[in-house]
Amino acid sequence: MSHLLLAQIPFLAPFTALGVYWWILMVPLVFGIAVVYRATHDASLDRFWTRAGLFTVKSMVAMMGLALALYLFVYLVIPILPAD
Amino acid sequence: MARDDSASLDEQLNWKAAAAGWLLPGLGQILLGHRQRGIYAMVGVLGLFVGGLFLGGVDCVDRREDALWFYAQAGAGPIAFGADYANGALLKSGRVGELVESPTPFGSRAPPPQVSTLKSVTLMNEIGTLYCALAGLMNLVVIMDALKRVPREAEGER
Repeated sequence: MSHLLLAQIPFLAPFTALGVYWWILMVPLVFGIAVVYRATHDASLDRFWTRAGLFTVKSMVAMMGLALALYLFVYLVIPILPAD
Repeated sequence: MARDDSASLDEQLNWKAAAAGWLLPGLGQILLGHRQRGIYAMVGVLGLFVGGLFLGGVDCVDRREDALWFYAQAGAGPIAFGADYANGALLKSGRVGELVESPTPFGSRAPPPQVSTLKSVTLMNEIGTLYCALAGLMNLVVIMDALKRVPREAEGER
């Protein structure tokens, strides 16, 4: 990973150091959305970061659940369906 | 009667705060007295946008090549236009990196287009583009919030 970091020119060249772990970037994306959503939606800003973090976790779990359901549907349900 | 209702609704909308919110995310809420809320919104929107530029490079914001994405990104305000300008001034002009010929599209008689060696074409370009676009769309939420939010000084009167 270190040689990839050396090749990185921040804000000019794409950040490629994560490689196959690119999907981790979904977490900060959802967290950013959670921060804006909580800032505009909540009447009180008490425990703001905790609630934004919880929103992130819930969203991630929901997306992982949907991904798992889709995986099971494609690999388990579709193969047993009649072909014609 | 209906005209009076619409006029009172128009008075309730904070157009100046909404415009300020487009110029700088969260500024609308700050001007209305909701300083902390505005700072949180600013951190969220600018964090997403700057994060997108970091991940995919300034090539993620391209008014000409990715016009549909840019419509969403432009919601983040002048920072999107600045990133598009930086893309043209630094990468597309060849001031940073090198310009190389890319293959001519099939059937085209036009000369081969020149692209920067730093052009972002990988998966990270897509992710960076998505980050910037979501920053713009979330700022529209922030702007609509500023448009309808009751100013802090008027909250006690209600």
